[in-house]
Amino acid sequence: MIIGMRTYRRPGRAVATSAGEAASGADSHLTAGTGWNVFSYLISGMLCYGGIGWLIGHFTHISLFFPIGMLVGLAISVGWIIYRYGRPFEQGNPPKGDDR
Amino acid sequence: MTGAVAAAAGGCHIFSGCGYPAPSLDNFIFTPIFSIGSFHFTKPMLLAILSALAVIVFFWAAFAKPKLIPGRTQSLGEMGLLAVRDQVLRPALGKKGDAYLPFIISLFFYILVCNLMELIPLLQFPVMSRIGFVWPLVLMMYGLYWYLGFKAKGFFGYFRSWIPSAPWPILIILVPVEILKYVVVQPFTLGVRLFANMFAGHLLLSIFMVATWYLASFSVGLLYAAGSLFMVFFVFLLELLVDLLQAFIFTTLISTYIADSLEHQH
Repeated sequence: MIIGMRTYRRPGRAVATSAGEAASGADSHLTAGTGWNVFSYLISGMLCYGGIGWLIGHFTHISLFFPIGMLVGLAISVGWIIYRYGRPFEQGNPPKGDDR
Repeated sequence: MTGAVAAAAGGCHIFSGCGYPAPSLDNFIFTPIFSIGSFHFTKPMLLAILSALAVIVFFWAAFAKPKLIPGRTQSLGEMGLLAVRDQVLRPALGKKGDAYLPFIISLFFYILVCNLMELIPLLQFPVMSRIGFVWPLVLMMYGLYWYLGFKAKGFFGYFRSWIPSAPWPILIILVPVEILKYVVVQPFTLGVRLFANMFAGHLLLSIFMVATWYLASFSVGLLYAAGSLFMVFFVFLLELLVDLLQAFIFTTLISTYIADSLEHQH
């Protein structure tokens, strides 16, 4: 199937897989839940590395570790989100690490 | 009736010497309707039961004796059913998710009716603005999608499915984030989102309703009361949208989490 540029860059609009089977909503990789998944990653990253930063700061008495940890967590989350959901992918070839 | 609402209903108006009786947390605390020992039956509990009954009675009336040419109730039921199936269930789970349709339908309409209770005169309280009603619901959903994950992939297989396919140095960084996402963030955001929206909406409605009553007097206050009354209508419509949206988001997320539990393969 020939894919136009716009369709290629917007996987949610893909209508069929390379195998030619009709795609129901569940087959497209960006679903309604993807946005909330992204949100969960952002919160988790900040919480996780913010927590580690807070712990280090608690024992070293340097409070700067907490905000640094949060920023590191945020950066990791954003990087992972871009890696997982952000790059365009070909039909039938799901993004790296994708769950569906 | 408690706190600010009682004060306003007691004839507290502008220029009568009393200040604006601002709604507060008191609006969410009710005197028990009756008590059995240390158990107190309150208005939110009554509304939760009424909501469940409303959903059961409606769908019973709609589908107890389904006809080929549907009547009015059946048509309405079918419309609701198809809307939830096509907008909530199918996008996440596809056709194989239809087995969960009765569950998702019940959940959607129960939350919707619970939320809509805030807009029905005399009842006027969203059940889900009491977090005690939200957490058990979230806990049940949490148990469900973990159970489905264990059933579909086995105990260790389910936990293994959390680990994304990425190079191992990245995995060291990512695995804690993934674990936190599944164990803490997903259920927490699911519950807090519903609770906070309903809580804020009820407070907002109360503020403008009380303000309208407080400002209504034979003075310039009447002009402000009209403005506040307009806001009551505006917030009322907004809440109608929020009630629907929250039920939609909750069930959409549950469908997505169930899909994750069943299909999350790396």
